[in-house]
Amino acid sequence: MNRDELAKYLLDKFPDTLELLETGKAEPFFLLKKPDGLVEFCRAIRDDVELRMDYLCQMCGVDTGENFEVVYSVASVKKRYRFDFKFPLPYNKAEIDSVQTVWAGANWFERETWELYGINVRNHGNLTRFLLPDNWDQGFPMRKDWDAPDFKRLPEV
Amino acid sequence: MGIIKKVPVFLEKVPGGGIITTSLNTIFNYSQASSLWYLLFGTACCAIELMATGASRYDFDRFGMIFRASPRQSDLIIAAGTITKKMGPRLRLLHDQMAEPRYVIAMGGCTCGGGPFYYDSYAVEKGIDHIVPVDVYIPGCPPRPESLLEGCLTLQKKVKTQKIKDWS
Ligand code: SF4
Repeated sequence: MNRDELAKYLLDKFPDTLELLETGKAEPFFLLKKPDGLVEFCRAIRDDVELRMDYLCQMCGVDTGENFEVVYSVASVKKRYRFDFKFPLPYNKAEIDSVQTVWAGANWFERETWELYGINVRNHGNLTRFLLPDNWDQGFPMRKDWDAPDFKRLPEV
Repeated sequence: MGIIKKVPVFLEKVPGGGIITTSLNTIFNYSQASSLWYLLFGTACCAIELMATGASRYDFDRFGMIFRASPRQSDLIIAAGTITKKMGPRLRLLHDQMAEPRYVIAMGGCTCGGGPFYYDSYAVEKGIDHIVPVDVYIPGCPPRPESLLEGCLTLQKKVKTQKIKDWS
């Protein structure tokens, strides 16, 4: 399957869950319409015999200024497919489910997302400091409204 | 260093002792300036330039500068690359583990004052002089090998002016 066939296959298979976003990228990029069904969706694309998305390339948070987003990039090593999906999260309810039961490698990505954005991960098991200094006490630095005494924003030109 | 530090104290009372002290001084300073072994501390892109300077084209060895992988064997840290806030305490520890006299060269904009990470960065230490005392600053992003060589010659000049009795 090439890019368009892959996108069509996914949209046919998960019509209520996915929405294709126009990005112009080489891989399809989807919006996940039901963030609650994240784990089931992940397990479904991993176990589907046509897809076999067995590798989580990366996941990360994004702060758009209006809400959070969580982006997942998945790949199939055997079939050489790749696609991304994301879903928005409101600021006041920044919580996601852990997908470690599907891809064990999600562990560190989820720790990073929690540490830098303050997005809480349910059922993670080891949500501890990862990238920041061990004695860090200044909050979540990748948030748009984050500030610290020696932090300088680039002045507007 | 204990005995050598005492030398000027006793000898300067003896007639002609000053000559011995100054000659000793010259010998020590000359040998020290000509064998500044540096600790490998390349944390980012400046390290590539440091490697280029160490390789055959620019040839650090002709100044007697050989890299060491242990702080116990080095006289000098060339901090080549971005020092993050998490790396800061490690740099301090390595600096404290070196035997005195010890020197620090801050290579590149990052170590001099934050460089390209001065704005919009939560992670980078804005200048390693917040962490360790710096002898020579070499600006640039990255500095060319010529700048680094110039910095090392400046450090040699500094080493050659020091007095035995000032040793700590
Ligand atoms: S000064 Fe420039 S070249 Fe050197 S470490 Fe910083 S960013 Fe890299």
